[in-house]
Amino acid sequence: MAGRSPRVLREMLDFDYSLLLSGQYHDMLLSGLMLSIKLACVTLVCALPLALFIALLRLSPVRPLQWLGFAYVESIRNIPLLAHMLFWYFAAPEFLPESFREWLYAGNIEAISAIVALTLYTAAFMSEDIRSGIRAIPIVQLEAGRALGFGYLASMRLVVLPQALRVTVAPLISQTLNLWKNTSIATVVGVAELMYQAGQVETATFRSLESFAFATSAYLSVSLLITGAAAWYQHRYVQAKSR
Amino acid sequence: MRISLLSSAVAVALSLVSAGVFADVAAIKNKGEIVIGTLGTDEPNSFVDPKTRQIIGYEIDLGNEIAKDLGVKPVYKQIAVAARIPELQQGRVDLLAASLTHNKEREALVDFSYSVLITGQKAMVKKSSGVTALDQLAGEKILTVKGGTQEPNILKALPTAKVVTFDTSQQALLALQQGKGKAFVDDESALNNDFAKIGAGAKGYAILPENLSTEALALALPKDSGDLKVAVDKTLARLESSGEAEKLYLKWYGPGTKSNQAERHFKIDSDQVE
Repeated sequence: MAGRSPRVLREMLDFDYSLLLSGQYHDMLLSGLMLSIKLACVTLVCALPLALFIALLRLSPVRPLQWLGFAYVESIRNIPLLAHMLFWYFAAPEFLPESFREWLYAGNIEAISAIVALTLYTAAFMSEDIRSGIRAIPIVQLEAGRALGFGYLASMRLVVLPQALRVTVAPLISQTLNLWKNTSIATVVGVAELMYQAGQVETATFRSLESFAFATSAYLSVSLLITGAAAWYQHRYVQAKSR
Repeated sequence: MRISLLSSAVAVALSLVSAGVFADVAAIKNKGEIVIGTLGTDEPNSFVDPKTRQIIGYEIDLGNEIAKDLGVKPVYKQIAVAARIPELQQGRVDLLAASLTHNKEREALVDFSYSVLITGQKAMVKKSSGVTALDQLAGEKILTVKGGTQEPNILKALPTAKVVTFDTSQQALLALQQGKGKAFVDDESALNNDFAKIGAGAKGYAILPENLSTEALALALPKDSGDLKVAVDKTLARLESSGEAEKLYLKWYGPGTKSNQAERHFKIDSDQVE
């Protein structure tokens, strides 16, 4: 730090809490946090059914459906989320019919593209976890269901999936954590979520330490909440089962 | 409010990690080179020549002159719009020639040389949107680049506007072309450039005549860098009095270029702004 002016040092160590607790910048950061949470919740609600569907595709007895599931998972998983975001924001909407497109662009196209990209991306990873969970259940369970007269989907729904999902909750929680952190990537398509707002506050006030400290602690708090939910689930359901 | 011990330890550790050589003339002459931060994406201030793949431009020529007067080699480091001031503050560059606007808020963080370019920020719209004046953009979606003075200026001029920002001005322009916003705001020179880049399609676009702001662009130096600022201002004064500064302006902004300005409307002689 030789030669750095004492004023700069003092400014770096001067942590301005008032910035984070009230006023215009606090509101910006808070609205960013709310939007991040909204993005994560909407994506989770959309991605779980999609992931289940893809997992069942990959496990179905019909070969073409297996290939479909395989193609989906491999193509989506191997492309970075950033590329997905840019594709769904800049490239994909251009193929829509004009009137629908105009209506979409006048609305919140940024958030919608981000949610589509996040949903597809998260569902690809979650479907693999769900598939592993289903495969962890001995095949005899499915055979027993079929022997009782249920079809493939019915035996999945009534016999295998309830057991499988109990096993899958732990990896799904970790995918949810990833999803929560991945919402920050939406900043590149202009979604005003937490990282974007932290950057805006930094540009406006030049106080990087405060704005990114807020963002970091916000991400950490929600992540700890999600992990806490996982721990509670483990305690409540899994322990009971193994008795 | 004073920070806790842990946070100050982290801050100190971070600053040690990022410590560069503090810019002053003796240190620069010792190194034999001056590291100049530039954008490389802002024609004609600094941009990559497609044939030679070198960064060239108005600010690059000024940087070369400054390096020549100091007797050192200029080394150009390409940085992003949002990273300009942090890079200078952390000592990773000695000088900024990166289309930096000189304003009062930034004076607290960096020192500015004589203003080298007076320009404004304007809005580009699609002719089909029917917008002909700035106040028609109230409440509309406006696109621009992150990390510069564009967004604060838009909100000052149009408080109800919904501003969406992107990492590069090229992405913001693409979004305008796709119809994701009503207007694209950027420096006047950048807009003129984009007009030329859009080529034939430029007939469908118009630049609104009102200025969102007037900006003085200047070279930036680290805070309290006494003798480096004196040296840079001396070079700029020399170029101005010999007429070379005007020639450089006309070379990059004058007739025949994309900006196609007939003449220069300012002088490089002052580092004061309102």
